[in-house]
Amino acid sequence: MTKILFSDKLDNCVERWKKAGFSVIGPVQRNNISTYAAVERAAELDLGLILTERSIKELFFPQSEPMLQYTIKKDSIETKDFLPPSGQRIIFGARPCDASGMAIDDPLFGWDYKDEYWFQRRNESVIVTIACTQSDDFCMCTSLKLAPDSTKGSDILLRPLENKRGWLVEEITDRGRDAFKAIADIVQESADTAAPLAVVEKKFDLDRSVAWLQNPENFESRFWKEISMRCIGCASCTFLCPTCHCFDIQDEGDTYSGMRRKNWDSCSFALFTMHTSGHNPRSTQSARWRQRIMHKFNYFPGKFSVNSCSGCGRCSRQCPVDMGITETLQEISKLSQ
Amino acid sequence: MKIVARHDEAPGVRTLRLEFQNPADHDSFMETYRTGMFGLYGVYGEGESTFCVASPETRKEYIECTFRQSGRVTSALANADIGDLITFRGPYGNRFPIEEFHGKNLLFISGGIALPPTRSVIWSCLDQREKFGKVTIVYGARTVADLVYKHELEEWLERSDVELVLTVDPGGESPDWKHRIGFVPTVLEEAAPSPDNCIAVICGPPIMIKFTLISLKKLGFDEANVYTTLENRMKCGVGKCGRCNVGSVYVCKEGPVFTAAEVSRMPASDL
Amino acid sequence: MSIEEQYRTRAKELLAGGAVKMVIGYGKGTTGERRRPIFITSPDEVERLVLDEACITNLSGYLVSEGLLSDEKRVAVFLRPEGVRAVNILAAESQLDSDQLVIFGFDVVGNEIKALKGIHVEEFADVIESLKESAPGVAKELLLEKIESMSPQERFSYWQGEFAKCIKCYACRQACPMCYCRRCIVDSNQPQWVNTSSHSLGNFEWNIVRAFHLSGRCVECGNCDRACPVNIPLRLINHRMAEEVLGTFDHFAGTSKTQEPVLASFKKDDSETFIL
Ligand SMILES: Cc1cc2nc3c(=O)[nH]c(=O)nc-3n(C[C@H](O)[C@H](O)[C@H](O)COP(=O)(O)OP(=O)(O)OC[C@H]3O[C@@H](n4cnc5c(N)ncnc54)[C@H](O)[C@@H]3O)c2cc1C
Ligand code: SF4
Ligand code: SF4
Ligand code: SF4
Ligand code: SF4
Ligand code: SF4
Ligand code: FES
Repeated sequence: MTKILFSDKLDNCVERWKKAGFSVIGPVQRNNISTYAAVERAAELDLGLILTERSIKELFFPQSEPMLQYTIKKDSIETKDFLPPSGQRIIFGARPCDASGMAIDDPLFGWDYKDEYWFQRRNESVIVTIACTQSDDFCMCTSLKLAPDSTKGSDILLRPLENKRGWLVEEITDRGRDAFKAIADIVQESADTAAPLAVVEKKFDLDRSVAWLQNPENFESRFWKEISMRCIGCASCTFLCPTCHCFDIQDEGDTYSGMRRKNWDSCSFALFTMHTSGHNPRSTQSARWRQRIMHKFNYFPGKFSVNSCSGCGRCSRQCPVDMGITETLQEISKLSQ
Repeated sequence: MKIVARHDEAPGVRTLRLEFQNPADHDSFMETYRTGMFGLYGVYGEGESTFCVASPETRKEYIECTFRQSGRVTSALANADIGDLITFRGPYGNRFPIEEFHGKNLLFISGGIALPPTRSVIWSCLDQREKFGKVTIVYGARTVADLVYKHELEEWLERSDVELVLTVDPGGESPDWKHRIGFVPTVLEEAAPSPDNCIAVICGPPIMIKFTLISLKKLGFDEANVYTTLENRMKCGVGKCGRCNVGSVYVCKEGPVFTAAEVSRMPASDL
Repeated sequence: MSIEEQYRTRAKELLAGGAVKMVIGYGKGTTGERRRPIFITSPDEVERLVLDEACITNLSGYLVSEGLLSDEKRVAVFLRPEGVRAVNILAAESQLDSDQLVIFGFDVVGNEIKALKGIHVEEFADVIESLKESAPGVAKELLLEKIESMSPQERFSYWQGEFAKCIKCYACRQACPMCYCRRCIVDSNQPQWVNTSSHSLGNFEWNIVRAFHLSGRCVECGNCDRACPVNIPLRLINHRMAEEVLGTFDHFAGTSKTQEPVLASFKKDDSETFIL
């Protein structure tokens, strides 16, 4: 016998969690886009989506957020620091790739200086992931050694039932267990079985591609130019990516008052690295694309022992010129044969 | 921090002397600060800019920065008056391991506005002169007017325990220029300092660093004894924003001070 | 012979004879329905070229990639009528020399591919002229009708909702052949004309600036709309501006390579006098 959460009880759960002080967030279709957003009722959730277009990272690392506010008076400067809004949250219905993505970024935000914006939100969020029973042409978690039922980054993993009436509950972390205490009486014991997982084809040999990337000779390979010729440098692949974490800091306001903000930024932009003198270490789009691949599969793992990609496929799904991590790694894995 | 003094070094280049408002900040800064480290200096409404701390670790009353007015933040800083408050975060980054230089000869090579980081190490060493061997400084700028810290250059010229080689690029000399004319790497090769028991410190624009490294190699310097600083675009200064990365290196954390050996392991075309 | 095959043959001849150094066309994409831009430099590769109704990206933006045309060698490019219009504008704005181009013109009518006769931009004048009559773009789209029937307040809040999604990725700019500025207004910070943050003010500023900079220049190719990762219906804004420019100045962007840019020129008989 295993623990089951029946979908017709989901509304009770939402109610319970809200009563227990959690806000409930999940995949929704809003304003013509699928994204994670706060809901009042379970019916607002769209749990049938393969994957939301916008990634879960926005819940931890929003596109633009205030860091401090300044007011300049005659002989003094007053500042007010902004900390991320606090509050316990349940993120219900995340996908394994999105949840993994958050765990992938933890070491980055945690090494040396601990980023309070990230960790405040991480510590107050319970990620309830639903394993995938369907996938599309762009899903590639298996190529990254993850799976449609990876538990990485999740506090609870739900496996959809064969009969579609609910989910098998797997408690992963204490935080997950605690959150599910609030609905302990709603979760039932049953002998129902889980539906088969999505079959996600392995698209490339990760180890082989990584070995190629690690070979310094390949840094200047013609490959980079050829593969990235059509890239228009739009950065939407990095902005939608759950694991891309680069940002900019900007002041907005005037001499008397204003705001210092932290905004998403991307290595796909020429300005990202351009010195004020005009010298740009990565002056071509191919150098920037190389950086993106190298960073995700060579530099980041070198430092934090994990690839900076969870295989969600958004970069390839979204790219206006049909590029993406998948194609590049596929080609590299061919090159290194 | 409060601006307590300003000094124009060269056209568009200005030094600010700064004091912390809060004594506790001063103390904790001085406790951590070692030569080579940098800070983020800012003006509210305009943003923050990265400069090295140009004052040496041996002087603990104030800090100084020297910058070229080149963009939004540096313009705002250049317009700031004595008594104005600016923001500061730091010190960040690594340092020149000067205690490892004890007993060795020192060769400082610098170009243009890159003297500030070198100056910080130079004074840090000169303030404990007895611990080091021969000190040679090769400094060049485009024109005579572009030389920074002119008063300190005079002082070094006069000191018998410092050899200062000054140069300006061809065409940049003034009628009464008594020193060398030529690019830094060429002048360096002419001066031909001995690599024996010698540590070299180079700071300058990427192109100068590149050619100077070649010259030092010719002179027989071992890459492990050559130190330099990288000046990559930075934002957070604390290893988060990703901007300063060169290969797997976070320049803001693992730098800005590197040995030439470390630099040669970085992807050259990404520098 | 299908048009795809005809064009492959022509591409092969041009490349083999050295008449062009590159053919910019479409190739197979990741999935069955996707096509991607490809750059062919060898006659042996022409088989990779694909031409069908899925070839919708306007490829003219690649023509102004840094260095591509600077060696004065010729380049062939697959273009739909909007692409030809875009080339006319780029030529009129001195961004390229259209004599360096060999055009593989085509259009999609229903599910059919139609070849457009001609090699040089001038030869497509009739096609473009007929477009002007038929009001291209999204004129008949339901969403447009819905928005036009809204009250100003409703319309404002509709766009507020849409722009709130904007993440300032500038994919719309990067995808647009008309957005070729080496330093875009949003990239200049002295002064900082447009806030770089993607909060509601910054997003409004950006989208309005973009709309204005494209007025009288947009050819309604839809690249921006398709590139926007958060599905903002940018095509509607462009279309509205194009309609406005057509109605007010009788200007249809990109009819010829000598066409005067509508917002950067002045006629003596202009009803406004403030410019002089
Ligand atoms: C370790 C280190 C030490 C240095 N030491 C010195 C020194 O001692 N002296 C010195 O003169 N210089 C030094 N520099 C170089 C110095 O940091 C730059 O010259 C300086 O930051 C220029 O700033 P600015 O605001 O005037 O330039 P701007 O080009 O106006 O940039 C303003 C800020 O906005 C950002 N920015 C600009 N345009 C955009 C845009 N469109 N969108 C988003 N963001 C944008 C930039 O990243 C920058 O932070 C050092 C650099 C480093 C990394
Ligand atoms: S790979 Fe695609 S999505 Fe990413 S920057 Fe290039 S064109 Fe844009
Ligand atoms: S790189 Fe692409 S596949 Fe990997 S996590 Fe980012 S968006 Fe997903
Ligand atoms: S791929 Fe680029 S934008 Fe993404 S995390 Fe790495 S450096 Fe940053
Ligand atoms: S604004 Fe959009 S539709 Fe108009 S030319 Fe540019 S990309 Fe095409
Ligand atoms: S493509 Fe869309 S999200 Fe990106 S900047 Fe343009 S309008 Fe905003
Ligand atoms: S400056 Fe942000 S990571 Fe180095």
